[in-house]
Amino acid sequence: MYVTFRRYSAAMASSKKTSFGVRVLTWIERSWMFIVFFIGFFLVWEWSVTLFDIPRYILTPPSLVVEKGWADLDRLLYYTYITGSETVIGYVAAVVIGLPLGLAIAFSSILRRTVYPFFVCIEMVPKIAFAPLFISWLGFGLLPKVIIVFLVCFFPIVLNAILAFNSLSEELTRFCRSTGAGPVLSFIKVRLPAAMPQCFVGFKYGAINATVGAAIAEFIGSDQGLGFYIQIVTGNMRPDLAFAGIFFLTLLGLALFGIVTLAERMLIPWHISVRRNKT
Amino acid sequence: MNPLIELTDVAKTFGQGADAVHAFGPVDLTIDDGDFISFLGPSGCGKSTLMLMVAGLLERTSGQIVLGGQPVDGPRTDIGIMFQDNTLVPWRTVRGNIELQLEMRGIDPTSAADRITVLLQSVHLQDFADRFPYELSGGMQQRAAFCQAMVHDPQIMLLDEPLGKLDAMTREQIRTDLQTLWMQQKPTVIFVTHSIEEAVQLSSRVAIITPRPGRVEKIIPIDLPFPRDFEVKNSPEFASYVRDIQEIFRGYGVI
Ligand SMILES: Nc1ncnc2c1ncn2[C@@H]1O[C@H](COP(=O)(O)OP(=O)(O)O)[C@@H](O)[C@H]1O
Ligand SMILES: [Mg+2]
Repeated sequence: MYVTFRRYSAAMASSKKTSFGVRVLTWIERSWMFIVFFIGFFLVWEWSVTLFDIPRYILTPPSLVVEKGWADLDRLLYYTYITGSETVIGYVAAVVIGLPLGLAIAFSSILRRTVYPFFVCIEMVPKIAFAPLFISWLGFGLLPKVIIVFLVCFFPIVLNAILAFNSLSEELTRFCRSTGAGPVLSFIKVRLPAAMPQCFVGFKYGAINATVGAAIAEFIGSDQGLGFYIQIVTGNMRPDLAFAGIFFLTLLGLALFGIVTLAERMLIPWHISVRRNKT
Repeated sequence: MNPLIELTDVAKTFGQGADAVHAFGPVDLTIDDGDFISFLGPSGCGKSTLMLMVAGLLERTSGQIVLGGQPVDGPRTDIGIMFQDNTLVPWRTVRGNIELQLEMRGIDPTSAADRITVLLQSVHLQDFADRFPYELSGGMQQRAAFCQAMVHDPQIMLLDEPLGKLDAMTREQIRTDLQTLWMQQKPTVIFVTHSIEEAVQLSSRVAIITPRPGRVEKIIPIDLPFPRDFEVKNSPEFASYVRDIQEIFRGYGVI
């Protein structure tokens, strides 16, 4: 039965148009061990809370997290929206500013000798340490959170962009020159596409940092958002709701990372990292 | 025969002061129209350096290079270059990579569609036009790179170890193809190699380059009939050319 299923899914996977159902089946076939482990993890959690008689104000079983989280869904969704806005605005700003700036630094010897070493130094500073300062300067609103998200995303994005635009192989550089093409044409046809994979390293790294930045900024000072929520309910001895908040924060992070990964697949389907994941 | 490429007193030193590497020269060399000349020498002797200087892609430290009646100052676009590492880009198919050469030159690739097809056929890649480089074997990639380097129909070709990384059988095949192409179209070819046999088989003349700093010590005309097929390769004359050149490199302590 297993063998037949395997053959079936392999045959279907190799035909160009695979239906959604078949793709799910293929995924299950490939990942069933992980799925079993994942479910097992939550079952063990569920049982051990009862088995070891852990007080509910310390740890709640996942079933209770679902139940209580569901009851508080409105608030959770609204706070997801709040934290999500901070995350997305900060992240998009980091991409929109970081990518062209990285490009400028890569091609300007003045910027490379001034701004670049400065950025490398700042990269060593844990950006999150600035969070209390920004909150004290700018208050409890959206802006300080957006700035902190921006800061934690910006440096990986800009540093990887600089690396990306600086590391065109010598052969391709010579190829461009040998055709007599101008800098703009060379950039569009060769430099930019060649730089995309390394740029995406920065985009993905930034996407991972983004929700961390937003949550910590909210811990430090806010009156709404998932970070705020997690802190308040933990103070009220409600780990069930804290886990519900963590769950939504995780979803947020996954969604952002998922979108960036999707963009990567669409923009650079030819790159080895994308190809390897496909097969 | 009229000289097409003339090098006078050409030398190259990388870096300055104590770290300076005297890579090449000084060298005087004349290459005639329609010549197939090999730069033969051990790795690190400066073959690529010399080729890139001829192409105008590397500044020379001293000397003069005249190519097609004009001094070389800056990149020359009227030649076809196959670099030591191939310049196929991973985001384009074989055909797309060939078109890249034209697009970079501001030529509409659709106008050259037929020419590209013929070129692909001549290297037996017509069935792989829409494949990406990673779907090709090393030998097929080199063939594709060759098409990319030649699609703008240059009369001068610079080939930097185009067969260097290939297995013996594939090398043999591509050598034959290359020779056929050269015999049909008679371009001027500078062929960089470290294989003595390859140089003797393909070249009308072999320039022997000494270990670093590279110098052209001898130029050996290979007086064998073309095409140099299996028969010629197994002839005693062929063997004696190979042996003579081996002797020279043994004298340098290279082999
Ligand atoms: N950019 C560079 N900077 C310093 N030294 C170089 C550079 N390029 C080549 N060289 C040196 O010049 C010599 C000749 O190199 P190359 O022309 O690549 O040799 P070949 O192609 O014959 O193997 C080598 O010793 C190499 O180390
Ligand atoms: Mg070389």
